[in-house]
Amino acid sequence: MTMDRRSVLGLGGAVAAGVALAPGVHLIAATQTTEASGSSRWAMLIDVNKCSSDCNACTDACRKENNVPLFGDPDRDIHWIRKIEIRDKEGRRPTVSLPVLCNHCENPPCVHVCPTAASFVRKDGIVLVDKHRCIGCRYCMIACPYKARSLVYFPTELPADGNPDVPIRGKGVVEKCTFCVHRVDAGLAPACVEACDKASEGAMLFGDLNDPTSEISKRVREVATKAIREDLGLKPHVHYQGL
Amino acid sequence: MISEFTTVEGRLPAFYTLLIILGGFVGMAAAAFFYVEIYGHGVTGMNNKVVWGLPHIFAIAMLVMASGALNLGSMSTIFAAKQFKQFGRFSAYLAVALLIGGLAVLLFDLGRPDRMLLAMMYYNFSSMFSWNVILYTGFMMLCLLYLWTMFEAQKYTKVVGSAAFFWRLVLTTGTGSIFGVIHAREVFHSAITGPTFIAVSLSSGTAVSILLLVATYKAAGLEMDKKLVFGLRNALIFFLLLVLYFLFVEKFVKFYSPAFYDVETWILTGPLAWLYWGGVILAGIVAPLGILFNSTLGNTVKGVMWGSALAVIGEFAFVAHVLIAGQSYPFNMFPGYEVSSVFQDGMAATYSPTLPELVLGLGGVAIAGLIYLLGIRFLRLLPEKAVVPKGWDVPWNP
Ligand code: SF4
Ligand code: SF4
Repeated sequence: MTMDRRSVLGLGGAVAAGVALAPGVHLIAATQTTEASGSSRWAMLIDVNKCSSDCNACTDACRKENNVPLFGDPDRDIHWIRKIEIRDKEGRRPTVSLPVLCNHCENPPCVHVCPTAASFVRKDGIVLVDKHRCIGCRYCMIACPYKARSLVYFPTELPADGNPDVPIRGKGVVEKCTFCVHRVDAGLAPACVEACDKASEGAMLFGDLNDPTSEISKRVREVATKAIREDLGLKPHVHYQGL
Repeated sequence: MISEFTTVEGRLPAFYTLLIILGGFVGMAAAAFFYVEIYGHGVTGMNNKVVWGLPHIFAIAMLVMASGALNLGSMSTIFAAKQFKQFGRFSAYLAVALLIGGLAVLLFDLGRPDRMLLAMMYYNFSSMFSWNVILYTGFMMLCLLYLWTMFEAQKYTKVVGSAAFFWRLVLTTGTGSIFGVIHAREVFHSAITGPTFIAVSLSSGTAVSILLLVATYKAAGLEMDKKLVFGLRNALIFFLLLVLYFLFVEKFVKFYSPAFYDVETWILTGPLAWLYWGGVILAGIVAPLGILFNSTLGNTVKGVMWGSALAVIGEFAFVAHVLIAGQSYPFNMFPGYEVSSVFQDGMAATYSPTLPELVLGLGGVAIAGLIYLLGIRFLRLLPEKAVVPKGWDVPWNP
């Protein structure tokens, strides 16, 4: 992974946004976090050729970093990032394995439909849910075509090896991948990307598309990339290579 | 021509028994609400694919019916069907009762109902939900105002009634659009969803009015001319045919575009096809039309009651079908590929409602019922003798 540190420094007041997401900080969270600098546009590029089907480093790391519990109930488990297998119905291509997460859409239908504006897009393109404002109506889950959102169906608590820097998942509200906003604001890459690197897969790249010198900008210029369901016009910001 | 309006005698034991039964249902719904509140929505049958379940079916069915309940009022105020003028008060009041019942269920099923104040403080104007909140509030105000004019200031009845009529069209389009605007769901996304909801509201609102009117007059020992019931029967027939027409147009258009073959075939032959064929088409349209068009059954009050009851069941089935089929059909994230994951990608969802959801939904019906009962007991909503104007006859009989 690489993330361009220069642009991270340029984020200015964005660290405050990370604080605003911390537990105990209430209704003002949405306003503060929208104050992130508009000069960046965070995005992810996933090379599916490097993603092996038996590797779950990204999903495991996400769970640990963000205190995302598994309830042991497949219908109601929460998945911020999940591994998907796709098989060409006509058998022209081998089975492909890839991670799918919130696409941090440019035109996010989840944000359009949220009645209380609990779902919002930060100026740097990260789509977040203010869990203190979400009323749990689930309309956003109906609207997101990537199944990126989960309702927290059961009460949760901080796991023994949990991350105290991130709040626990809130019962009765809808949550999803934040691109690890607390890490991004601290100049780090999302946990999944870091874990993918550590597992020597190197399939995930995160960075600022607005910075022409960032690695992700260069890569999306050089290689053919695709996003999922581009036809819907949401302008997703998780791009795939080799799909 | 209208006889004195009257309150329904409340000393009858049946009245109090009914009050107690409905109160019991509301109490059980309150218990179910706290149960879900404490343990989370995991105790319901809803899951990460079917996120709206039985409570939403009850809520939306009642909201749609509420706007249709205004039919009797609109028919007299706007379309000058004088024979129904005497039911204007009943009609506006029933609309409010159903609206409150439906909204209560919707509110109590939120993941965080404690934050309702927030929902009132922050409006996201790009959200269909926010619009609906405004539409429901406005509709309730207009209905109450309409009711007031009928009691106190009849010279304003026409203008307020017309506004309420216009509002209800927008309102039901709004309710339908909660689904229609969702691009990601093939089953929902359609410009005709709004109009179909309007047709369904017309039929179910008329049906529920017939059921309540006949039952109330009978239980209270009041008098009603059968011709009024048959007049409403004709309206119901027309509205049911309208629903059928919209359903047909939707299927026709969707089957014309190859992109919808898969989903439409799934709807008509898949695991939820019974809800469409059995619930919407057979129970909700074919059976009631069969009864209402029948020269024996259709000309009896009992027959019309059966037809109306089936139309109400059909409305619930329609809402259930839209909601459950719409959510169960898997997202097609990679057209042309088979998809699988631990998050059940590529699989159709299954949903089996649990008792707390049913109890919550019935609680909403009970709230509407209680409001109705108290209304007819304490307000002069109904004419003592429901008769037709001189010289008026049912224009058509089967
Ligand atoms: S992927 Fe879904 S949840 Fe994420 S921004 Fe897009 S619509 Fe919203
Ligand atoms: S569930 Fe929460 S985040 Fe989703 S639309 Fe409703 S209020 Fe917004």
